[in-house]
Amino acid sequence: MGPDEFRGPMTQSPAVAVDDQANTAILVRDLHKRFGETEVLKGVSLTARDGDVISLIGSSGSGKSTLLRCINLLETPDEGQVWVNGELIRMGRDRRGQAVPADRRQVDRIRQRLGMVFQGFNLWTHMTVLENVIEAPVHVLGVPRPEAVDRAKALLDKVGLSQRQDYYPSQLSGGQQQRAAIARMMAMQPRVMLFDEPTSALDPELVGEVLRVIRQLADEGATMLIVTHEMAFARDVSSHVLFLHQGRVEEEGTPDEVFGNPRSERCRQFLARRA
Amino acid sequence: MNSPLLSALMAALPQFVSGTWLTVQLVALSLLLGLVLATLVAVLRLSHLTPVSWAARGYIHVFRSTPLLVQIFLIYYGLGQFDAVRQSVLWPLLREPYWCAIIAFTLNTGAYTAEIMRGGIEAVPHGQVEAARACGMNGALLFRRIILPQAFRQALPAYGNEIILMLQGSALASIITLMELTGVAKAIAARTFQPIEVFCLAGAVYLGMSFVITRGVHLAERRLNPARK
Repeated sequence: MGPDEFRGPMTQSPAVAVDDQANTAILVRDLHKRFGETEVLKGVSLTARDGDVISLIGSSGSGKSTLLRCINLLETPDEGQVWVNGELIRMGRDRRGQAVPADRRQVDRIRQRLGMVFQGFNLWTHMTVLENVIEAPVHVLGVPRPEAVDRAKALLDKVGLSQRQDYYPSQLSGGQQQRAAIARMMAMQPRVMLFDEPTSALDPELVGEVLRVIRQLADEGATMLIVTHEMAFARDVSSHVLFLHQGRVEEEGTPDEVFGNPRSERCRQFLARRA
Repeated sequence: MNSPLLSALMAALPQFVSGTWLTVQLVALSLLLGLVLATLVAVLRLSHLTPVSWAARGYIHVFRSTPLLVQIFLIYYGLGQFDAVRQSVLWPLLREPYWCAIIAFTLNTGAYTAEIMRGGIEAVPHGQVEAARACGMNGALLFRRIILPQAFRQALPAYGNEIILMLQGSALASIITLMELTGVAKAIAARTFQPIEVFCLAGAVYLGMSFVITRGVHLAERRLNPARK
């Protein structure tokens, strides 16, 4: 781990970051993740304050999706720390020395505060759109069903799917499915929203409708981490941008800094290819 | 049609009805118990605890690799050899051919159905399981709400097959003195010397029951997959 990994406006020295977490939504420190021999994350740190919209960009294989998935423990980081709303996710080791969460219930609890939207939508195909949206509030949070239904209808209205609440996922277009998935995520009233390439599986003409919904959430002050290949969108909607390259944060800053005047040669090349 | 045969069959009708009813009981009860057993075994089979997984595999392997008739004989004739069994609280059950047949059928269909269920569970798209985990679901809740409902849907066509095989297999219960449909037919054929007519009638009843099962499974498939008509 080099000293240059704690730099810039978003990553602070650990002591400061840990002590001052009053409005810190996500704090990631020196995260490492290996898949077999391949080290996908080689010491990544980031800080997201409440209301931040952080875009993670980079070529495929740069580790940006893995980073996102490590935050809600869909992937288990090998080393490093993840804090959510000031709460450290406690890690331990199993008998083979692999990193594992020390307390599964803590992970479940933290996941309730982190909404996630997937590239492949991942709606539950045996349920209607409405059932998808009320499922976790009713069965995980214990919200009374009528109340959950009311809230779900309001959310479906917001993402423009009020006419489709009784459809099954297979009856919807990709864009509609992703908007339903966003409504499902919002139904948990998460403190932080994680978007993992939310438009990458969509036909080009359907991308806009999903980005509009995400933009609306950002405008309302939601805290978001977005892995995306939509550069114009990232530049427009983000408060901060991280460019990842081969498992490291290669460049970070405001959208204007990263897109307008990138310091790193690799970031410049990446953006030139995307333009 | 000659009237002596007709009247003989008419006289045997009540026996046929009670034989059919016994077949239905044997099959329905075994399938129900077998399904519960199979779900449990399938979950254990997929467990990451190696001894548990291997125990489940062992059970599945043994019961799928030996004839159902041998399993019936072992339970009905075999268990009674052991004093411990004869003195156990289960003996009132184990000396009844009815319960021996139920136990053998349950263990047999449980093994086949466990493999069907395993296939169904493994076919649940991983992304949907991740989406549930990402909402804070886990363990029993995740299983009950997301994995099992989809596994059942996936497994239904194959399970329909298993129901029909179980129905045909239940004819073996006649060997241990149970007067189910085949047992009744055998007795009447021996009495009337009209095996063709009697077994044709028994076969027609099996055919009818299979038809009802096939239609039922098909209806259930449509009902459970409303989006894929």
